[in-house]
Amino acid sequence: MDLKLSEEENLLKNAAAQFVQKELLNIEGSFLKQKEPFLPPGDPPRRELDPVVRKTLIEKAKKVGFWALELPEESGGSGLSHIARTLIHREFGKTVLPFEPPSIPRLMAASRHAERIVEGELSLSLAFDEIHKTGKLDQIRANYRPCPNGYCLNSSGIDVINPSSDFFLLPAKEETSGQSGLFLLDRDASGLSIKDEVDLTTDATVARLTLNECRISSDRLLGHEDEMRQIIAAEQLRIAARSLGIGTRCLENALEHASNRVTFGRPLSSRQAIQWMVADLSVSLRTSTWLTLEAAWKADQGLPYFDAAALAKKRAARMAFEAADVAIQIHGGYGVCKEFPFETFYREARLMRLLYGQEAEIDRAIGEIFLKAG
Amino acid sequence: MEFRLTPEEESLRKKVEAFVNEELIPLEPLFDGAPDIFEGTRWKSRARLSKDPEVKRYIGIMETLEEKAEARGLWYLDVPKEYGGLQVSNVAMIAVTEELEKTSVPFELGNHVSNILYACKGDQIETFLLPCLRGEKTACFGLTEPGAGSDPAMLTTTATPDGGYFVLNGSKMFPTFADVADFAQVFARLPGTKGHEGVTCFLVETGTPGYRVVRSIATIAGTEPCELVFEDCRVPKGQVLGEVGKGWALNQTWLGARRFQVGIRCHGMARRALRSIQEYLKDYPSELGKFSPSLGAFIGELEALRSLTYFGAWKADHGVDVRFEAASVKLFGTELLHRVIEFALEVVGPPALRKKHHLARFFRHARATRIVEGASEVQRHIIQRTLFREGISFMELT
Repeated sequence: MDLKLSEEENLLKNAAAQFVQKELLNIEGSFLKQKEPFLPPGDPPRRELDPVVRKTLIEKAKKVGFWALELPEESGGSGLSHIARTLIHREFGKTVLPFEPPSIPRLMAASRHAERIVEGELSLSLAFDEIHKTGKLDQIRANYRPCPNGYCLNSSGIDVINPSSDFFLLPAKEETSGQSGLFLLDRDASGLSIKDEVDLTTDATVARLTLNECRISSDRLLGHEDEMRQIIAAEQLRIAARSLGIGTRCLENALEHASNRVTFGRPLSSRQAIQWMVADLSVSLRTSTWLTLEAAWKADQGLPYFDAAALAKKRAARMAFEAADVAIQIHGGYGVCKEFPFETFYREARLMRLLYGQEAEIDRAIGEIFLKAG
Repeated sequence: MEFRLTPEEESLRKKVEAFVNEELIPLEPLFDGAPDIFEGTRWKSRARLSKDPEVKRYIGIMETLEEKAEARGLWYLDVPKEYGGLQVSNVAMIAVTEELEKTSVPFELGNHVSNILYACKGDQIETFLLPCLRGEKTACFGLTEPGAGSDPAMLTTTATPDGGYFVLNGSKMFPTFADVADFAQVFARLPGTKGHEGVTCFLVETGTPGYRVVRSIATIAGTEPCELVFEDCRVPKGQVLGEVGKGWALNQTWLGARRFQVGIRCHGMARRALRSIQEYLKDYPSELGKFSPSLGAFIGELEALRSLTYFGAWKADHGVDVRFEAASVKLFGTELLHRVIEFALEVVGPPALRKKHHLARFFRHARATRIVEGASEVQRHIIQRTLFREGISFMELT
């Protein structure tokens, strides 16, 4: 057993921490700051990173290798291990600035669009809506059948987060055999429509994607069950890692504020109600950290890791939500202000808990494995 | 990073696994009907003095097991090499206990002594340490007092120097096995000191004039801790354990190392409870859907406890300050065990509360673990203190 990061892992973690501090955290304050003294009537507008800033950040991130983490180096990616990716996403999770290395699954390397996606010229969304309920392949309703020169896809509609992307990776089931296939779709493919884009309660949008006899060439089928399960597990690990970052940041700020803020003549940190919140949170953060790293390590070692990744995601995302909740509570009125990061973390973590397997479904799956084990 | 046991740790684990499968698990039906005294570790107490032939028969079985374990080299595991032990790591001891916890037979590999006894020097080694290692003597641990439990720094038992002696006055609550122990490890303070200062540990032999074991007290968990009284009890200076006035550090060492074992024991007992639920549900297939999510949630939490315990023990092996880890394991482990047992009782219903039902035993045991050796509230206190002192750097990966 050796729980210390290797020298290489440590360098990578520190480099990511520096990048996040220098490039992201330094502008987080101005990003969060309200632009006008009085808000226009109605809901506050959704916050977005300035496109020019985003472009510069992409260039900088690419330069230091915090981009396309999954893709092998020959395809222009960083070719990093699961542990390394966990360490990097954990650092990016420490800021609410909406910027992180995008998920570009390894199998995208085979696509002829890989290069432009890696370059950041074209964007990709995972249209995994039908996966989110259970984190498994059993709820896929979109279907496909072979057609001359390719496939024909149908779906009565799924929700897609970040619907403005140029490409979508979409799981579908073969009509007769029930085999699952993973397809790469252009947003302007014939028969594909995206409409009813609305804001999510997080700073993202969602729209309805429908497929009506959508015809695509055979090279757009990129993988089957195994590949999809790997993507699901990789996304679960990404969410878990990001959650660790959120948890760490919220705990850090909560400790700091509790030490400085005085009420009724004593600092908050001297109050047991406050002490217990941070104590329980820190234990939860610690256990989630180990479970996430252990799952990532298993993946790197070629050991079975899907269940471990699901568990890590479930616990870590829950922990991140509770961390944001604690940070908000300790910051009081400031906690719910949009000039502070905590309410954003709170909204984001709530969504993450619902992605790639809802808690009760992940629990049920683990319970069923245990019951079957005999 | 590397999450596997080392080859040596793994080979020890396998040996214990084989011992459990070959020697202990076959005895499970026998121990299901064992006298009450064989619940938990009580059999090590006054059971040995019993004249009841049934109790004697079980003591005989236990002694045979001890011989078998020793013959397999599964003895003196955590004893330092200089005393002829294997001096295996904390992590290895966690793996050992994890295997032992897979059976309900209440057998422990020996011979353990409380780790503070390794502070013995000179004649103390022959008088106190070695006989304990050989299994000839046993000791009890006297820290808690009627007015000093969660905050042991409030202890008031005094040790007044008088020539070549210290004179002890005061009382101690809850040392387990004091009624059968050959000597007590007693914490007392020098006159005029308070807090952590002046605390000194004494080795007091049973029968020393002025030292009385007043009574044993029945508890929900089946253990029978004792009450001790010291009235002008003269203890030779040569029986100070460690240094005069440096006893506080000893008590911290003792508690710190224990907690990881508590964690893996909670893990084992909770797993056994859930396994029995799994067996039970085989007769009620229609209930499976109702309970599988809760079952899965608990299995997940137990995985978290297991990681926390192993990795905390690893830190202890590497000389890192583990007060945070130890407190986390104690808090998380005992609270989780309690919740798992609560759930198990809900699944099985009233029959599970029959006194001899294993879940009822778990239920009684689990309640005490949230208090003994540091209540959950004290663990939270230790955790928050570390957090506010050290700041977030404490949670960083290194």
